[in-house]
Amino acid sequence: MQTVAGIIVLASLYVLLGVGYVLIYRASRVLNLAQGDLMMFGGYALFAAATSVAAAPLVAIPLALAVSGMAGFLIYILLMSRMAGHPVFAAVLVTVSLGILLRVGVVLLFTDQLRYPLQVMALTNPPLHLGRGVTVSMIDALSVTAAVVVMAALVLFLRGSTLGIQMRAAGERPLLAAQRGINFQLLFALSWALASLTGGVAGVLYASNVRLDPSLGVFGLKAFAVALVGGLDSLGGLVPAAILVAAVEVLTIRFGNPLLAEVSPFLCLLAMLLVRPWGFAGTREELERV
Amino acid sequence: MKPYRVWILIALVVLVPAVQASAAEPYQIGLSAAITGPAAATYAPTFDAYKAYFKRVNDAGGINGHPVEILVEDDRGEPSRAAANAKKFSEGVIAVVVASTSATYNPFLVESETGKIPLLFGGGVCPPRAFPPAAPLVFCSTSFGAQWDSRFAIGFIKQRAGGKKVKVGFVAQNIPISQSEMVFAKNLAGEQGLEALDVVVVPGGTADLTPFASRIKESGAEWVLSWAPWPIEIGVFEALNRIGWNGNYLLYAHQQAQADLTRLKAPNLLGFGGNSFFSENLPIHRQIIDAVKGVTTHSPDFMAEGWVSAMVIEAGLRKCGWPCGKEKLAQALTSVSVDTKGVRGGPIEWTTDNHYRKNTYYKVSNLFYFKGAIVSVADWTRLEVK
Repeated sequence: MQTVAGIIVLASLYVLLGVGYVLIYRASRVLNLAQGDLMMFGGYALFAAATSVAAAPLVAIPLALAVSGMAGFLIYILLMSRMAGHPVFAAVLVTVSLGILLRVGVVLLFTDQLRYPLQVMALTNPPLHLGRGVTVSMIDALSVTAAVVVMAALVLFLRGSTLGIQMRAAGERPLLAAQRGINFQLLFALSWALASLTGGVAGVLYASNVRLDPSLGVFGLKAFAVALVGGLDSLGGLVPAAILVAAVEVLTIRFGNPLLAEVSPFLCLLAMLLVRPWGFAGTREELERV
Repeated sequence: MKPYRVWILIALVVLVPAVQASAAEPYQIGLSAAITGPAAATYAPTFDAYKAYFKRVNDAGGINGHPVEILVEDDRGEPSRAAANAKKFSEGVIAVVVASTSATYNPFLVESETGKIPLLFGGGVCPPRAFPPAAPLVFCSTSFGAQWDSRFAIGFIKQRAGGKKVKVGFVAQNIPISQSEMVFAKNLAGEQGLEALDVVVVPGGTADLTPFASRIKESGAEWVLSWAPWPIEIGVFEALNRIGWNGNYLLYAHQQAQADLTRLKAPNLLGFGGNSFFSENLPIHRQIIDAVKGVTTHSPDFMAEGWVSAMVIEAGLRKCGWPCGKEKLAQALTSVSVDTKGVRGGPIEWTTDNHYRKNTYYKVSNLFYFKGAIVSVADWTRLEVK
């Protein structure tokens, strides 16, 4: 049962990160390869808020999340919007450069020492005994809760709100949506803000649970594999993909060769590309665009 | 002007600049360190310690009347960069200091042999060639050393177990030196009557260590010994804590240990190591704290390895005199005896065939809640290195 708990906790982080890839891809067909670095940015935003503004978690955490969301919005306005009309691969390369810049910026500002925001906020992360020999940390439990809340909120937003419906329309039928006068710039900026925010949530949780260091962005690459396994344009495919990839990873460590664990998400991706290249719930036509 | 005054004038014009040039000529030492890159948190402090240490030395008039110039190159812990640095240092310097990952060692060892340059490992793990019988040009001042550390650690666990056959787990990182050390420790534990569990090998840079921790917990480990780079050592302990493991965790106390023992306040976390903690507040600790003020962004307790390494270089240069070439310095280093003034449990003494140290010292510490400070669980223990 402890193994199952470990799989669910890891999957929840993959969901929080994977959502960012899907949101941006659905809206603008851009693969945001800086998503892992946006997660790292969220973690450092928390550390910066806790050390310089207020150590109180009720201030520091919302502030870090607000900064994360705003960063995504600004990245679109200042950088990505200028890529309109250029080939998609150019925009993808911009996101690669963005990731590198974020990493360098963090090292310059915070150095490469390990940081522990939870300690700065004077919080503890006690183990929760869930029965049947299962123990997870308080923040592990929060990660799972956050993933459920984020997925539910996104489904409600995309199905129930005007902006959400416009976002779906822009992603699915861009020409028709443009003819209806939908503000694409706003929607793209919003998708970047939401992706950065969810990345920030993952970063805040991970940094509080484990630690913070500039190489954290590498985690994003594994979540990228998760998003592809689920289907890049599908939020619905993300959850089973995250569980599958997390399960393979955890079981490899527990019962196989732990050294294979780091590559196991990419083995899942390879297998999925051979069997069903558009992922669990992605659209077949989307494959050509990738 | 009388003829003798002309001669004095000529002599002054010719000799004074020559004497000045000779006085200003520095001892040039190369330092290759992982100043940036994934391992920088461990090795960059050595660079800062060298800066601070030799600034003090130079401000006080240098060594034998000559300043020490440290030529620094960043290798990022990457073999390709290390090879370029080794080539760069092959001319001009009289010794090379390496403070980086073991992956960078080979180019320096090759270049040292070709160019007959003394090579000091100061901060990274000691290579086998520094141990008896040592290679003539390879030296190591780093506090931790393969096999000796495990000998001490297993002995400590056995003593703590009080004759019970406790289950001991082992944590290594997927680098050869860490893995072979933990395999050595596992065999030793078996020989000493402890129940040795499998070595859990963790890939470096792993974000989620919980599955590794679950594996250790479910194997029933009562003790865990970890000898790996710090993020893995401490990361696995924290992951074990998160899933409610209650055993004792013994790790090698690298330079980051003081900060993390204080942060975690865990009664079951024990650090054994060759450097004293700055919380002991010895005069040498206060001296280091003063010297590095404004020089580094790292905490002063991260300077211990670099400081000791710089002490050894200073002792070697003093012995070498002036002029000091590579060969003469290598010869001088083979007989240094450096009083570390309490940073270590005893002096660093080298001989012709032992470039690690004649005796190595370990202390075990942890943090008790009720005292609120790091305390020694066991005082210095001496092991004779043969």
